[in-house]
Amino acid sequence: MADAPIEIEFDNVSITLGATPVLRGLSLRVRRGETKVLLGESGAGKSVALKLAIGLLRPDQGRVIVLGEPVSTMPEAALYRLRRRIGIVFQESALFDSLTVRDNVAYRLDEEHAMDLEAIDARVRACLAAVELEEVMDKFPAELSGGMQRRVAIARALATEPEIMLFDSPTGGLDPITATNIMEQIIRLRDVNHVTSLLVTHRLQDAAMLAAYRWDAEHNALRPADGMSAHTSFLVLHDQHAVFDGSAAELHASTQPYVQHFLQI
Amino acid sequence: MLDSGQEETDLATAAPPRGEEEIQWGFIGWLKGQLEGLQAYSLLTGRTFRNVLARPFYGGDTMLQMDSLGVGSLPIVLMTGFFTGAVMALQLSATLAQYGQIQRTGQLVALSIVRELGPVLTGLMVAARNAAGMASELGSMVVTEQVDAMRALGTDPIKKLATPRLLATISMTFSLTIIADLCGLIGGYLYAILALRLDGRQYWYTAMQALGATDMAQGLLKPVVFGIIIATVACYFGMSARGGTRGVGRATTQAVVSASVLIILTDFLLSRVLIGFFGA
Ligand SMILES: Nc1ncnc2c1ncn2[C@@H]1O[C@H](COP(=O)(O)OP(=O)(O)OP(=O)(O)O)[C@@H](O)[C@H]1O
Ligand SMILES: [Mg+2]
Repeated sequence: MADAPIEIEFDNVSITLGATPVLRGLSLRVRRGETKVLLGESGAGKSVALKLAIGLLRPDQGRVIVLGEPVSTMPEAALYRLRRRIGIVFQESALFDSLTVRDNVAYRLDEEHAMDLEAIDARVRACLAAVELEEVMDKFPAELSGGMQRRVAIARALATEPEIMLFDSPTGGLDPITATNIMEQIIRLRDVNHVTSLLVTHRLQDAAMLAAYRWDAEHNALRPADGMSAHTSFLVLHDQHAVFDGSAAELHASTQPYVQHFLQI
Repeated sequence: MLDSGQEETDLATAAPPRGEEEIQWGFIGWLKGQLEGLQAYSLLTGRTFRNVLARPFYGGDTMLQMDSLGVGSLPIVLMTGFFTGAVMALQLSATLAQYGQIQRTGQLVALSIVRELGPVLTGLMVAARNAAGMASELGSMVVTEQVDAMRALGTDPIKKLATPRLLATISMTFSLTIIADLCGLIGGYLYAILALRLDGRQYWYTAMQALGATDMAQGLLKPVVFGIIIATVACYFGMSARGGTRGVGRATTQAVVSASVLIILTDFLLSRVLIGFFGA
């Protein structure tokens, strides 16, 4: 897939929020079907990078190009259309608290009026099943645990079957079993649906899992990658820019002091 | 949330006395902030109005807002209107009696209610109740990233949240004002016949005689303008809420205070302009 088209590109992107420079000259590229894991300590600008990718924030300098479209400069109205092809899971879930889980997941489909009600319900059920949460359809977000809210947020992002997924700490605050299940789903999206993603995580074991496993569609199970490309690369943010960008092997071999420090903790 | 943390430290390390230069810069900075706020407010208001005609039209959301605004505000508007009418009859009749003109109570009650008190008091009541409600609801949605999520899911928050609130507030302030006017007239009427022992028919006759086209124009235009003020101010402060729950609280207070002050200011300006236009 080394020659697959580039679907997410940051070209020398800088952004200042309030008075703090958050990113300075960040460049990155993600090809179709690839997952780029963003690592970095709290406040490094990972969430800001995801919001730049979907056009919720605009850079002060540089360009963001997603699916061939100039996200950083296009008008908001055009962005609304493009965002149908991009799903995002916010760090704090950001579910609509006055809508039920069903209505949250169906939000975009309901807004579009393009599918009939039964088809929407079937899609919602399938998305919730993927995160093992079919039974909470009629509850309100406030009635769910934090981990359940996170999974509903993932289901909501998947509802339009986007080509690009942006995950902000999808496993944050989850127990190890649920977290592993979620990571399995993400690997399946990558290997079966060839979804391109940017994934922020604080858990190095998630990053390791993404790099070490692939989804075997034939047997419908997770398999060790065993030298095959797992279509996953890493980017470490520090000091407002990328101090590392490369494969898992390169990450472990890196002599960059911050990367070594980061991996040791 | 980060903002509120920042502010906490600012408060904790109580600011040292400032030099003169700093105060000047502080003032210019403040002025700049106010102007930027005004610009943002105008932009938001413009976009809210533009979306009135844009597709899709959120009819359901508009109805929902009209319901919570109109039905919810009805009791306080009924009460306010009624007792204002009664107290106007009480106060005005005392003055009129000095000139032997007590039979003109109906006329003065009608004029003061329809021109001024009906629209202004309804506006203030709607501002107190609904500007607060709207600003805190939108503010909470902003600080919990629900507004960002909405944009990420392809919905324009102005279209989905602000425009329905604008339409609902205009139409409901208008209707509630008419209801308040009627209640005020009835309140004045009851006081006139029960306490002042005036002739009821004469009360209504002088009241209706007194109300001309100018008074009607004033009385019906004002609530439309007040509705616009309430909705746009509430949406502006709600949408620009920053810094967690405290930020939402602050936005709510600012929305109510600004809307109320603007209503009273605009009332004066509108009265002046309309009287200049139509004659008193
Ligand atoms: N809306 C905003 N206004 C001002 N500053 C902001 C805003 N959002 C983020 N920042 C600043 O940007 C920097 C990066 O924030 P960001 O949320 O991207 O961090 P992060 O890498 O996602 O951290 P975490 O791992 O804790 O989620 C922080 O210093 C933060 O203070
Ligand atoms: Mg973050």
